[in-house]
Amino acid sequence: MMTAPQARPAVAPVTVTAPAPEPAPLLDVRGLTISYGNARGTLRAASDVGFAIRPGEVMGLVGESGSGKSTIAMAILDLLGGGGRVDSGEILFDGVDLRRLPAAERRALRGDRIAAVFQDPFTSLNPALTVGRQIAEPLIQHKSLSPRQAAARVLDLLAEVGIRDPRRVTAAYPHELSGGMQQRALIATALGCEPKLLILDEPTTALDVTVEARIIDLLAKLCDSHGLSALFVSHNLGIVNRICQTVTVLYGGLVVETGPTGRVLSRPAHPYSKGLVAALPRITAGRRHRLPSIPGTVAKLSGPPAACVFAPRCPFAEETCRSQPQAMLTDAAGDGVRCWKADALAGTPWPDEESAARKPAPQAPAQPTAPLVEVDHLRKVYGANRSILPWLRRAGTVAVEDVSFTVGRGEVVGVVGESGSGKSTIGRALLALTEPSAGTVLFDGTDLTRQVKQGDQDLRRRAQLVFQNSAASLNPRKTVGDAMDRPLVLAGRADAEERRKTVAGLLTRVGLPSAYADRYPHELSGGERQRVNIARALATDPDFVVCDEAVSALDVSVQANILNLLAELRDEMGLSYLFITHDIAVVSHIADRVLVVYGGTICEEGPTGRVLRPPYHPYTEALLSAVPRLAEDGQEAPRILLEDAAPTPGGQGCAFAARCPRKLGAICDEQAPPVHRADDGHRIACHIPLATLAERAAVFPELVGDAAH
Amino acid sequence: MTDATPAPLAPRRHLPSLPVSLIVGIVLLAPLAVAAVAGSWLAPYPYDEMNIMSRLQPPGPEFWFGTDEFGRDVFSRTLVGTGSSLVMGVAATALSLLAGVPLGLIAGYKGGRIGEAIMRAMDVLMSFPPILLGILVLAVTQPAQWKAIVAIGIVYVPQVVRLTRAITLELMQEEFITAARLRGENAAYILFHEILPNIWPPLAVEASLRVVFAILLGASLSFIGMGAQPPSSDWGLMISEARPFVEQAPWIALCPGFALATAVIGINLLGDGLRALLDPRNTGAH
Amino acid sequence: MLAYTLTRLVYLALVLAVMSVLIFLVTQAMPGDVASMIAGQFASKEVVDAIAVKLGLDQPLVVQYGQWAAGILRGDLGRSLVLEQPIAPILMEALARSLVLAVVALAVVAVVGIGLGVLAAVQRGKLTDQLVSGISYLGIAVPDFFWAIVLVLIFGSYMKLLPTGGYAPIADGFLPWASHLVLPVITLVLMLLARIARLTRSSMIDVLQTNYVKFARAKGMPESVVILRHALKNALLPTITVLAIDFGLILGGVVVIETIFSYPGMGRLLLFAIQRHDLPLIQATILVVSAAYCLANLTADLLYAYVNPKIRHGMKAA
Repeated sequence: MMTAPQARPAVAPVTVTAPAPEPAPLLDVRGLTISYGNARGTLRAASDVGFAIRPGEVMGLVGESGSGKSTIAMAILDLLGGGGRVDSGEILFDGVDLRRLPAAERRALRGDRIAAVFQDPFTSLNPALTVGRQIAEPLIQHKSLSPRQAAARVLDLLAEVGIRDPRRVTAAYPHELSGGMQQRALIATALGCEPKLLILDEPTTALDVTVEARIIDLLAKLCDSHGLSALFVSHNLGIVNRICQTVTVLYGGLVVETGPTGRVLSRPAHPYSKGLVAALPRITAGRRHRLPSIPGTVAKLSGPPAACVFAPRCPFAEETCRSQPQAMLTDAAGDGVRCWKADALAGTPWPDEESAARKPAPQAPAQPTAPLVEVDHLRKVYGANRSILPWLRRAGTVAVEDVSFTVGRGEVVGVVGESGSGKSTIGRALLALTEPSAGTVLFDGTDLTRQVKQGDQDLRRRAQLVFQNSAASLNPRKTVGDAMDRPLVLAGRADAEERRKTVAGLLTRVGLPSAYADRYPHELSGGERQRVNIARALATDPDFVVCDEAVSALDVSVQANILNLLAELRDEMGLSYLFITHDIAVVSHIADRVLVVYGGTICEEGPTGRVLRPPYHPYTEALLSAVPRLAEDGQEAPRILLEDAAPTPGGQGCAFAARCPRKLGAICDEQAPPVHRADDGHRIACHIPLATLAERAAVFPELVGDAAH
Repeated sequence: MTDATPAPLAPRRHLPSLPVSLIVGIVLLAPLAVAAVAGSWLAPYPYDEMNIMSRLQPPGPEFWFGTDEFGRDVFSRTLVGTGSSLVMGVAATALSLLAGVPLGLIAGYKGGRIGEAIMRAMDVLMSFPPILLGILVLAVTQPAQWKAIVAIGIVYVPQVVRLTRAITLELMQEEFITAARLRGENAAYILFHEILPNIWPPLAVEASLRVVFAILLGASLSFIGMGAQPPSSDWGLMISEARPFVEQAPWIALCPGFALATAVIGINLLGDGLRALLDPRNTGAH
Repeated sequence: MLAYTLTRLVYLALVLAVMSVLIFLVTQAMPGDVASMIAGQFASKEVVDAIAVKLGLDQPLVVQYGQWAAGILRGDLGRSLVLEQPIAPILMEALARSLVLAVVALAVVAVVGIGLGVLAAVQRGKLTDQLVSGISYLGIAVPDFFWAIVLVLIFGSYMKLLPTGGYAPIADGFLPWASHLVLPVITLVLMLLARIARLTRSSMIDVLQTNYVKFARAKGMPESVVILRHALKNALLPTITVLAIDFGLILGGVVVIETIFSYPGMGRLLLFAIQRHDLPLIQATILVVSAAYCLANLTADLLYAYVNPKIRHGMKAA
């Protein structure tokens, strides 16, 4: 898959030689400038962007939100909406400038020779039409097939993208399919007319990691077998590393670096690329290690850049950087970097976060003390209905089935699971936001749900929540200061002046200027809002904080910031966290102990280091193998690809049975798995004997010897 | 993680520019508001002064919009009728909000049996066609304008309850409500300080549209004799009384008709303008 | 879908039962006394009482309601006091005529309203859009009765093109039948058009911004296919609901319009009954009108569920 990088004609005018046998690029974008205009002015989404994709090549277009990557993809498709327009530049496809073609001809190319797959399969399929019809449409439109011929071709296409029962899927409506199946259907649609170029706009971002792994695998195979070229837009460097031969890094609408994937991700030349790579949480990194982060927020341009766009956030910036726009420097191999210091910085890594060298931490809290949170046989059923009308009676959906665990004082417990695993429900039950259907949750020895029901709110304030969606968790009509003032008022602090000081102190504590107290949520960036969220949670002086996907919606560079902040607060204030996430790399970075949940049950639990090495629960093993890695992280283990199947919680057997690659047989479907207990409180719920599980090779061999981890 | 449409710049707070429709709406409504308050002083003639000598006079310098079958000045009557016609709509809407918003808040916040009971009762009320419900309420007693107001108010309670409940339910899912519960706020604080401030913008838009419907329904009720009673110069009633003479003297109907149209268009524009103004996207949030 | 329909039907029966109680109680509270109306102005008290006993009016309210409700379930709606005829046939005739009006008016509103709405959405912000919204405003700016008067004035009195009122059975020929429908239909259309056009426009605009429309464009579908097949089908969901409710409204009697055009439908019958204090007729008319309205609402919900594959295919009842 990973072919050696070849030299290619550079885009920049600096080009000296262009070897003759080199095939002409299939897609050649030159000097593309795109802006969005509205009543309040214009915003440059892309400035003088250039890159080329040769036949059979997959190029990654990476950047954080606001970098302009999706805008560029849409411009190639001529689907810019919302006031966006291409100001200048050329989009050469097979030597023809698409911008010069009449709209009708561009439309005729779309779906035929240039096909696309978008981010969100759940919304990309029309809910009112059958899947088969939607796949057949371009065949009928572009290839003039009869509906009958098209239907036959649809079945072939579905089979090719790995769908087992194409007949059922063609007749289905989108909502009847799982996310993975929907994305496969979209890929089948794109392949239908045998396109030459695929535009893949974050095609797996909305999917669970195990599903993502399969889709990426499928895409890589298809590109290979069909000799497809693709533009792969993504924010995820690990995924890009897996599927792209070359990569172009965008920042603030400018290309800052371009080159072969292996080289760019292992030896990034531009400071921004260095930062991006460094900020990625890695399973193999030391857990107590602070993540390097990129300070500041993404640049937004309204006109041509007057200086280096990255200078305000760059640790290496000098006066020149702040006064002169940077040109793209291209070397003989065709690699480009937009930084005049790139050569000088070649060996310099992104600086580590040393500022607050982390204290050895109140490591391993004295275990004998009673745990802070005790969850005992928790069960939660949603949607049960005891109607008098017999056809409306429903047993409900099991979200959490018989879950027991504890959170110690000062301990960080990570909960990893995919959508539908019940992880959020567990978090809500711990905070008495939802009443358990069975079982108990004790907070500091007291049943919190009962206390809240009796109107006692004091205990509740000691357990707080940091949300995923930082925008929705702040009342849009209240200033930051007002939002943080309330918990203090409720805590009985009467002196307004003193409260104001406390708010200012809290804001400073989370790294925001105290003047932010007067701002409204919509005036803050996503990362800043998340800091306000954390500050607000701290305002009640809690012992325990549930972080529900608290960093999932953030860009990598900001995510590292917030993770560091959370870790610092834990160390300084002795907080306990329940850290809920879908990202096992993030959990491994911050958690002392990890619960791996699937279909409402805990399949594996133990100290983080234990869970990351064998013996694994088969699901944990699959999760770990799905974690994308960068080149420098060493050889990738063979990926374990799971079936597309929904978890079946609340059933007789193991919830994972339907997708388990190591399923023993009927016993897995019929009996709840026994819990194997290993040392260190490591528990695995599986029918496979512990000794057999221990025989598997480690997904991350480098972790095995590291017992102290 | 999408960056399809970059957020506009200017994150600082600023006064949003006023939508055109809001300004036009206010311009249209301002004279009506003046007429509603001071109609009887501004009117050139008393609204109920009959003059058999000048029956069915066409518009002219003496009677700007002509006279009706009793020789009453149509312009004066229309002017004086403004209050009656607008008050009917506004009062009825106020009534439906007064009853509907608390019920909707309770139904949305409490849910459970109480919420269910409220919503089922509203379903029954909504199962009557609006004008029929009005007629049903009015048919019990002798018609009078205040009864029409009450009837229209009742007609629109279910819509207000439904809307309030729907927004409340939506807001209840919002994380900032969860945050409020987590820091131990009581129900009253959450309802009045967290939910209500977010409910009133859509309610204000809804109310402005309700006023339109209420004015039209009030005019309809007056038209069939179940609203304002003669000799009132309510616009609906005026049009009704003008009907037999419409071929000889169309101006009797036209003047109140145009007044009604101005009011309705004005309020509609006001509502549209409000919607644009209160849309959070207009204030830089998104 | 079946479970959903069943639930809604059970529910409809309950609502109708509650409504019938309400209607019965309200009409009981109305001024006027059935027995003395039958007996006539000059009858002695004995005669009135005798009639009351004969009709069961001396029985407790519960018993009276029971008899009334039992009659309705048998299809017996009672006798009109003023017309001195059984109510059921009169009512059915009026209902049929209202039905004709409703079907024709709604057909026109659906075609024109949806068309204008789609046009405005596609041409969003351009002149066409402004024009459509202007026309919409015109329709709702003035109450229906004002339009009715203006139309009568123009087409009836001045141009003498169309009859200004009344009704001709289709047995008298198509043209007379149709000509009597034109003005009431235009009035109804003016009244209903704005809401349908604006609703279609706004839901169309929402749908045109969805990912699946973008994806359809990315597949290279011509704009006509994108709009008609991909967008319209989804955008029509809310419109269908409102259309069905409007249908119920018209059936339920557009009292004012029917009065102005002397159209002998349900609305006029109801107004007649109220003005003449014909209690049995009032009760029966209101009940039938409300039942028709409820049925139309139910149809709206079922239709919505049917058109929306998410609900149609075995998902839980709302």
